[in-house]
Order: sequence, then structure tokens, then C-alpha cells
Amino acid sequence: MRYLALLLLILGASNMNAEMKAVARPSPSPLVTFRIVFLTGAASDPAGKPGAASLTAAMLAQGGTRDMSYQQILDAMFPMATSVTSQVDKEMTVFSAATHVDNLEAFYKIFRPMLLEPGWRQEDFTRLRDDAVNFLRVSLRDNNDEELGKEVLYNEIYAGHRYGWHNAGTVASLQKMTVADLQTFYRENYVNSRLVLGIAGGYPPEFLERVKKDFSTLPGGKPAKVEIPLPKVSRGIHVTMIEKDTRSVAYSLGFPVDVKRGHPDFPALLVAQAYFGQHRTSGGRLYERMRQLRGLNYGDYAYIEYFPRGMFQFEPDPNLARASQIFQIWIRPVEPPTAHFALRLALYEYDKLLREGLSKESFERYRSFLTKYVNLLTKTKPAELGYAIDSLYYGIPDYSAYIKNALARLTVDDVNRAVRKHLRSDSLHILVVARNCEELKKKLLSGEPSAMTYNSPKPNEVLDEDKVIESWKIDLKPENVRIIPVDQIFE
Amino acid sequence: MRSLALLFLFAALVAWAANAPRKAFPFDYEQHDFPSGLRLITIPTDYPNVVALYIVVQAGSRNEIEPGKSGFAHLFEHMMFRGTRKYPTAKYEAALKEAGAASNAYTSDDHTAYHITFSKEDLERMLEMEADRFRNLEYSQDVFKTESLAVLGEYNKNSAAPTRKLYEVLRDTVFDRHTYKHTTMGFLKDIQDMPNQFDYSRLFFRRYYRPEYTTIIVAGDVDKNNVRSLVQKYWGGWEPGDYRAEIPAEPAPTGPRSNEVKWATPTLPWVVVSFRGPAYSDAEKDQAAMDLISFLGFSESSELYQKLVIREQKVDVLEGDNSDHVDPYLFIVWTRVKKEQDVDPVRDDILATLDGFRKSPVSSERLEQVKNHLRYRFALSMDNSESIASMLARYVALRRTPETINRVFDLYAQVTPEDVQRVANKYFAESGRTIVTLKGGKAQ
Repeated sequence: MRYLALLLLILGASNMNAEMKAVARPSPSPLVTFRIVFLTGAASDPAGKPGAASLTAAMLAQGGTRDMSYQQILDAMFPMATSVTSQVDKEMTVFSAATHVDNLEAFYKIFRPMLLEPGWRQEDFTRLRDDAVNFLRVSLRDNNDEELGKEVLYNEIYAGHRYGWHNAGTVASLQKMTVADLQTFYRENYVNSRLVLGIAGGYPPEFLERVKKDFSTLPGGKPAKVEIPLPKVSRGIHVTMIEKDTRSVAYSLGFPVDVKRGHPDFPALLVAQAYFGQHRTSGGRLYERMRQLRGLNYGDYAYIEYFPRGMFQFEPDPNLARASQIFQIWIRPVEPPTAHFALRLALYEYDKLLREGLSKESFERYRSFLTKYVNLLTKTKPAELGYAIDSLYYGIPDYSAYIKNALARLTVDDVNRAVRKHLRSDSLHILVVARNCEELKKKLLSGEPSAMTYNSPKPNEVLDEDKVIESWKIDLKPENVRIIPVDQIFE
Repeated sequence: MRSLALLFLFAALVAWAANAPRKAFPFDYEQHDFPSGLRLITIPTDYPNVVALYIVVQAGSRNEIEPGKSGFAHLFEHMMFRGTRKYPTAKYEAALKEAGAASNAYTSDDHTAYHITFSKEDLERMLEMEADRFRNLEYSQDVFKTESLAVLGEYNKNSAAPTRKLYEVLRDTVFDRHTYKHTTMGFLKDIQDMPNQFDYSRLFFRRYYRPEYTTIIVAGDVDKNNVRSLVQKYWGGWEPGDYRAEIPAEPAPTGPRSNEVKWATPTLPWVVVSFRGPAYSDAEKDQAAMDLISFLGFSESSELYQKLVIREQKVDVLEGDNSDHVDPYLFIVWTRVKKEQDVDPVRDDILATLDGFRKSPVSSERLEQVKNHLRYRFALSMDNSESIASMLARYVALRRTPETINRVFDLYAQVTPEDVQRVANKYFAESGRTIVTLKGGKAQ
């Protein structure tokens, strides 16, 4: 009987009480998925305290409550095979969990106080601060050249801006942080007006109301909204090189764009990005010219939205919504002798994109691709909830309908106009992770040709194109090149 | 009709959870064998519109038996994207794009899997294109040489992670004869020699890309009969081969062994403790009991995790790893230590924990908690068609049928505290032990 009632569900996207919002996706599933989002994040880190938002979320998701130690929480959740994870970005903090409906009551009994009655124990704080420092110094800086390059690219583009530090903070700031700092952050930012409750799956009908009531105990205050200005655009090409003892050369390139979901040109730029370098798929223009034809590396892609951890996953995580985004090109590590040529080739292809845009045939292909691919983005319940919450943030309809409707009306001219309007040729930041940066710097500044050689014959068309690329001008001034030893990053 | 099906699915899952007729793999699937040896497993699900297609070839780096050919199964996975006469690469890519498909592949020790997720209306096209490349792959020597460089690029992008190196050294230290000695990525010297191995690549295709090595999994918004007739239409008549690789057996362990990796750049130290373990089995309890030990001893609720991660805070990673393999493999404990001075004490704590399983039986209550954990963990992992197909692919690589999942979960249910103690004594002997540590260099 209970299951029948579950099947006959119920509410669609739900109404909200006075302040908090709720996104409900009931379904006849034996699983219940939570996505509890607070519209706060690293952009709200207090002055001098980068990392406060991130560490606060970690204290909730991986720390004890007033009544239970973290050890007791792990023990209690273990037989249910569930856990709570947090993700902090500039403007969003999300707590995610899933449980079998059998265990919903037992799980919620622990989950609710984790978010509403945190324990703030010093031993949890010490452990999680260590984790944050080790994440920055070891996992990111020492063990992962590609993610390092991408994150530092963002820091460079947003220098002096509210997005100008890594979400996890800096080592110096973390080392000065106290539990009291996090309690203050929690009090000021974990408020009703910034809360979006996301829940999906086979929960009983009355459950959502109960959750809403529980969370309405958070203060309802209206904290000052963090204004996110547009970042300053630096004219010309700027290169930041991270000197590191590494086998190969990793690149990330980008500049800010004034386009995000809801902007009239977002769907057009999405098509251009898919054509130029759809994440982790073969067949994009950059991939085809750099990897497939020339064997330069493992892949080459383009982005118009923040996509961290891209080396580990095929689809982006939701709830990384931002008021400001960058256009980004990701060139996966290349062998040092081809590094100069590879950069020139990427810039040559980018220039070609700006000058020639997409052909009618390419436009039709990538429009068709995105029209169907958008279905795959929300194939899991957490993703479905996450995209719905992002749509609330951006003030757009359901993401899939938004994209499909806009694509149906789009023309190739719209796309090429958007490319010319928003993709810049007057500003570009290039991030390099390499060994012997001085040598590469000299090459880049000298403009000397970087001839390419291959291990197999290539068609004349490629060899002729290489002649152009090997002398492609990179208009770089010495004062715009900076080399930073890796051990100074994130300190 | 749909809601009725939903009702049945849901009822089945709830019944499973409530311990009634417990089937770990609760879906109503069809398994069909074609005369060529090709096997098809179709799992209609109630997740709308989307279809996940996984094609599993039971050949991986385990099959790289000739010297100098490590990494070849993986290179071959790359080559499968290099086109046929009917669908040259550009046309294949264009068709995938027009279908809005997410397509990729991976290689592991025992299998290679090609996967595409797409909208249901493109099912026929996808099955046709996949059949074409499995049967008619054709690439030139030039293309082969270029693609081998992309594999080197893949090695490069992984090379900043010390765990990759650690894993490479661990396997090289443990195994003398079996092909598990090398990782799926392969040794760097072999990767650098790949451009010269065009002929071997054709041989590899002729040996393993055959129906008797291949299982097609289709999960999603599909009709079983329709899927079967489409597979018959495009994959029917695929010619079987007769090659069987002689995989060298690993002699009995003569350990203990150890090794040390000196990492050039700064990083936290790692300690890896491993023991020679059993092969995957859905008939014998040993591997199931070893799985349970990996959770009993090293999961977040284990005594050692509570000690080292939560209370003493000496390590920030602690994981038990007992992965399923066709041939006898390894039980591994991975840990990342915060201070170099704690490396030896942490290693000793791990060894003492494993020794504890030999000395006395675990409590029945604790064993039940772990069994519950595994059941719910498995159920939670199947929340969409792609994850169902992806999870099934790993088991199909071992036994070619979803029933193996039900059988192995039945084995978990049967494992007793005495079984745990028995397998601990059988496998955690010093002779089968290999310990590898990794220590970072100083900042420049």
C-alpha cells in the first residue's frame, strides 16, 4: 500500500515557503537523493580568509554534530552505505547524499543535524584543515599538472576579483583559520534566504514538508548579496609559467566572457564550443587537428563554463553556477620538443574559428548533437536536481527545454555573430606547467620558427599548413611573461 | 503499461531490500547467444529515452603475452576509433555527433569496453556502426603511428600522479611471470616502441576482436525483441576465431618482497601493503571473504580508519582494494601518510590489522554490517541505465552473465566469521606479501 502511494506521487517542482526554495522530483524509485544548496561560496570568503566557505562545508559534511562525533556518524551510516559530500564553488555550496528508502528515516536523523546542528569540534577542524592544505599542496600542485594549470588560470584571470583565489583557499589563510571563523561564516551565510532544498526519488509524500519545516529553523536573514563585478580584461597576451619538474608541457588558455546561461548568446556559444572542442569527445576541431591528425597529445577541448575535475569525468558537475564565466581552451600535456608548435597550432585554430566561424554543415551537426546530448546530462537523479537548481539561479526554464528551444531557433549566422562578438582576439591568458620555463619563454618571445616533424608521412595539405603554423606570430611582450616556481602556488 | 512495469521493478527492488527472494541484480533481462559465439544481454529499464550500449571484449592487458608488447590492448582500444571503409573516422564521428551520443572506451587488465550512451531513436544506427567497426576495422600504418603518439600523450598526462608509478612498481615487484606484472598502460619503453608494431596490431585484432570474446550489453528504454533482431541483422554472420592465449601462470609466492619508489618532486609518502590473493569466483567463497575483509579492515567504519584517519590523524588516505580478476591477483591496502616518520608505524598497524583476522574470528554483528553495506552500496550504484550497463560490464568481463552478480552476493551472505579467519590464514602469509613505499623529493 505504501508503495502504491509512492507511485502515485505527487508534487512537481514545488512551491516555497517565505524564503527558502525547494526543488522536488518525486519518482517511484527505491532511492532518495538529496541536494541541499546554499547560495554562498568562496566569493563570500571574508577578507583575508580565503577557504572559509570550503572549510565550513567540510566541517558539516565530514565532521560531527552537537550530539554525535564524526566517528559515530561514519559507524551509523556504514551499514546503509551512504555518506554526505560537499562541493563548494564561488557562489554555491551543495551537500549531496543518497539513501535507500529503507533507510530514509535512519539517514535523515543523522543528516538533518549535520547541516543544522554542527558540532564544531577542534579535532574535526584539525583533520579537515590538514586535508585542505594537502589538497592544495599535494593533490593539486604536486600530483596533477592539468588541474593545477586550469585552477591557476582562473586565479590569474580573476586576480583582484572576488573569484581570485582557489575555492579551497590558500595555505597561509588556512593555517590562520580558527573554528570561530567558520562558525561566523556559518551564521552569516547558512540562512533561509540562500537555501534551496533539492530532493528526488521515492520519499513519502509528507517527507518534503517535514524537511522544509526542519530547515526553516535556520535564520531567515537577508545577508548582503555578494555583488560579482565583471573581471578586468587585460589587453594583450599574458603568459604565466609554472616551473615544475615534470615530463611534459600542460597548457590552459582563456579570457572572461560576458555570457552565461540565460544570456541570449549562450546557446550560440555552446554550439561553437561543442564544434571547437566538446569535452572528452573525439571529433571536435581542436581534437581532430591536434591529436587525431598530428598525434600531439591525448586531447584538446574548449569550454564556456567552469568545469573542474574534467580529467576524471565526462560530464560536468552541476551547481557550479557563476555570475561570470571564462572561455577556456585545454591542451593536454605535449612532449617538450613540440610544445611551441602545439601552442601555435591551438592559436592558429582559434584564429581560424574567429575568422571563418562554423560552416553550415558543422553548425547543423553540432546543433543536432547538443539537442540530443542535453538529455544525457540529466540522466541521474543528482544531476536532474542539480540542473534544476542551477536553472533557478540563472532564472531560466528547465535546462533541457531551454537549450532545445533555443537551438531550434538558432541559425549558423547567430553562432558566427556570437563568436565574433564574445570570443576575443585582444586578450588572452596562457597558463603553462613545464620544466625549463626559461627556455620556452625565450622561444615564445623570439618568434623563431618551431618546425614540426612526424613519425609517419603526412598529406601535403598538413605539411603546407604546418609551414604557416610553425611561424605563427604570438604577439607577446616580455613584461607579460611571468615564471612562478611551483612551490609558491596556493601558498 | 509503463507504470505497471515501474510498479514491478519497484516491487522487485523493495522485495530484495526486505530480504525476500534476494536478487542483487534485480532487473528482468534477456541473455541471448548467437551461433557465432556472440552474446547479447538486454536490460530494459524505466529510465526514459536513453540507451546505454556497452560492448565488452574479454581481452585486456592480461592478454599481452609477448615480451615488449605491454600496453597493447589499450593501444588497440585507440585504434578502434580509426575507421572502416564504410565509416572512415570523420564520418563515424559525424554520425555520433548527429546522434548526440556520448561515446568512449576503456581498457583494464581483463577486458576492453566500448560504450555509447544515446537517445533511443538512434539504437539501430549505433548497433550498425559498432558492428561495422568490430568486423571491418581498417587503418593505415601512418594512422597507426600517429595514434600511438596519442597513447604516449595519455602516459604523459598521467605521469604527474605518484600513485601511477607506485602501482607500476608494485605489480612489477609482485609478479614474475603472469602478465599482471605490467599495468594496462604498459611500460614506458614499450609505449615508445609502439609506432613500430603495426603488424602486431593487426594480429591482435584478428585474435581477440571475435564474437566468442565479445558480449553486447544494451540497457535502457528498449524492447528486447527489437534489440535481438537488430543485433542479428548487423552482427549476424560475424566469423568466430580459434585463438586461445596461453597466459603464463604465476608460480607460488616466495616472498616477502619489498620495493621503494623515490619520487623526484615533493609529495606525501605512500605505503602499499599487498598479498597474493585468489581469482574472482562466484562458486568458491575465498574471493567473497577477501572482499568482506577489505571493508572489515579498512573502510571508513573500520577500527584502523578510526585510529589512523580520525583519532591520530596520521594518514589522509586508507583504502582496502580487493579487485576482481580472471586470474589470482592481489589484496592491496593503500595509504597516504602525512609525516615521513609515521611510515613504518602505519605499515605495522596495517600488518597487525591483517594479522588480527588470522588470529581470531570477527564478530557476527560486524560481519552483518559489512554485508548490508555491500548490498546497499550495490543498489545505490544503479540509478540510471548507463550505470547499470557500466557495472554489469565489469562482471561480464569475468563470467559473461548477470547471474554471476546474484551468485557472488549469495556467497557474501554465506561467509561466516570462520570463513574470514580461514581465508586470512590462507592468503595473509608472509610469503605472499609485498610492501612498496613511495617518498617524495625536496622542493627545488
